[in-house]
Amino acid sequence: MSDKNTQKVTLTSNEGSQIEVDRVVAERSMLIKNLMEDLGDEAIVSPIPIPNVNDPVLRKVVEWCEHHRNDAAQSADDDNDNRKKTTDIDEWDQKFMQVDQEMLFEIILAANYLDIKALLDVGCKTVANMIKGKSPEEIRKTFNITNDFTPEEEEQIRRENEWAEDR
Amino acid sequence: LADLLNFCTSQQLSFVHQFVSPLLKKDPFTTLPDELCLRILSFIDDPKVLARASQVSRKWRDLLSDDMTWKNLCLKHDYQRRMSEIQAPARQSATPEAYFSGQHDSDQANRGFSGAPTSTSLPATFAASTNARPVRMSYKSHFKQRYLVDAAWRAGGRNISRNITQDGGVVTSLHLTSKYIIVALDNAKIHVFDTEGNPLRTLQGHVMGVWAMVPWDDILVSGGCDRDVRVWDLSTGECLHTLRGHTSTVRCLKMSDSNTAISGSRDTTLRVWDIRTGLCKNVLIGHQASVRCLEIKGDLVVSGSYDATAKVWSISEGRCLHTLQGHYSHIYAIAFDGQRVATGSLDTSVRIWNAQTGECQAILQGHTSLVGQLQMRGNTLVTGGSDGSVRIWSLERFCPIHRTAAHDNSVTSLQFDDTRVVSGGSDGRVKVWDLKTGNLVRELITHAEAVWRVAFEDEKCVAMALKNGRTIMEVWSFSPPEEEP
Repeated sequence: MSDKNTQKVTLTSNEGSQIEVDRVVAERSMLIKNLMEDLGDEAIVSPIPIPNVNDPVLRKVVEWCEHHRNDAAQSADDDNDNRKKTTDIDEWDQKFMQVDQEMLFEIILAANYLDIKALLDVGCKTVANMIKGKSPEEIRKTFNITNDFTPEEEEQIRRENEWAEDR
Repeated sequence: LADLLNFCTSQQLSFVHQFVSPLLKKDPFTTLPDELCLRILSFIDDPKVLARASQVSRKWRDLLSDDMTWKNLCLKHDYQRRMSEIQAPARQSATPEAYFSGQHDSDQANRGFSGAPTSTSLPATFAASTNARPVRMSYKSHFKQRYLVDAAWRAGGRNISRNITQDGGVVTSLHLTSKYIIVALDNAKIHVFDTEGNPLRTLQGHVMGVWAMVPWDDILVSGGCDRDVRVWDLSTGECLHTLRGHTSTVRCLKMSDSNTAISGSRDTTLRVWDIRTGLCKNVLIGHQASVRCLEIKGDLVVSGSYDATAKVWSISEGRCLHTLQGHYSHIYAIAFDGQRVATGSLDTSVRIWNAQTGECQAILQGHTSLVGQLQMRGNTLVTGGSDGSVRIWSLERFCPIHRTAAHDNSVTSLQFDDTRVVSGGSDGRVKVWDLKTGNLVRELITHAEAVWRVAFEDEKCVAMALKNGRTIMEVWSFSPPEEEP
């Protein structure tokens, strides 16, 4: 086995531009990791197409993977553990996620597609934090959502949810 | 474009900002696939946030009615008893035993999770339960139910108070069942109320103080200073049998099945009764002093005595299998889960024993006075002492988890479940504690001179106390208002 830390792989975004990254960085993505394990050294020589992700988003995801290259690898149980954790996000990740909503959602989709659980969770937590502590109207404003309830429906659903208020 | 913006005045830029910023906003729940939306929601553990989010738009409401989200929330809040509520919902009776040292019914408490043999007796009581909830319930409504009950326990609930006697009679025993609240007094009377606390009838027949009783569906078995064990029909108030044989005060009573009651007495013996025929099936002889407490699991009965020993007996064989020796003084309280026996003693220690081998597994020290209260549930033991402290112990590590200076005087009564501990003390207070943190949640009773007994269920708590020189009963309900159809 050659050293993964020095091996390079090339990723191709859906716009065709190529990004060269260290193999360990690329392998933050379970999708790429599995692909390389299946294809062996062949995969390393030829560029890996990432057809669902555009160039700016792919660069952003690679930036995240670079920063987190030394994190412990995700295990099968990670899923459960993360769920129990709060929505705390470390400082670097918070800064990283200060992007417009379009980009944020694209990152979430890319993380999901590339199977990078930790990044997916950071993205989801970021959105969750945008929802917290807001009234329905403030949430609508935050995401530019149209209220499509009729006044009657709105009143009914408000009553249905009254139990959770003021406790 | 950048050049163009550079030419703009701040007013124009502000206009551009107002124009552009909504365009940069996007509804995540229409942009992302549902599975990712639900993942986002899984990071929210405040129901208020979820409730508000469901009022945003139709799409959001639909997503938020997804039961997985609420299931997660149930898990996070430890509202996991959904299945057990369906299968064995009724904690049929919380069973504080006798005055100043009753041990609580770990037997009842354990039914829920150990699938104990006695659990087969429950469906009948459940069917009759006025609290029976629909069997199929969405996680959302389950969560709502539990959340509201929890909130009411923390800071809410309704209570009624009722005078039981005009003088200060001592309450020796209190039981909650799915049909009744039953109270026994040292004035020889047994009062039966419905679950709301409305009086149904008074059982009269004992000529001296009643010191122990045990309900089973519509049957009640009681005993006391007059040495008689009486079998009552709670639905009519009729005394079905008077069982004679003990030569001194009956101090403790338990049932092993619907036909069999076992009594322990100051005459040093235990008697096994067939309450259907009214015959004494066996006398268990061996203790050297008063039998103070007993507990039954399957064919085994364990008894604690003032002779400082506890004994494990086979009910069917009528013989002593083990004598648990180690305490230096009277045993006042006992709990038994089929494997382990816990005993609380006047020597201030608690001992854990292996019921199969009779070995002492651990000595739990910390109380500075008599340990008269204990309940065991899974790997948790809660003890209360005459030193006023309530202690929560781990039976995996045999060490204390929480220690609280709960009462200024003796702890007279305590009970716990997965969520909370409720303790009553001779300082006149009823305190509710968080089982996990050991923190005080609230106090339930005000201005009482002494609390004799407390018992609770998921949505109800009953306290017997001395207030203004009278014995009173307080019934607290934490049920949320009925759901609109």
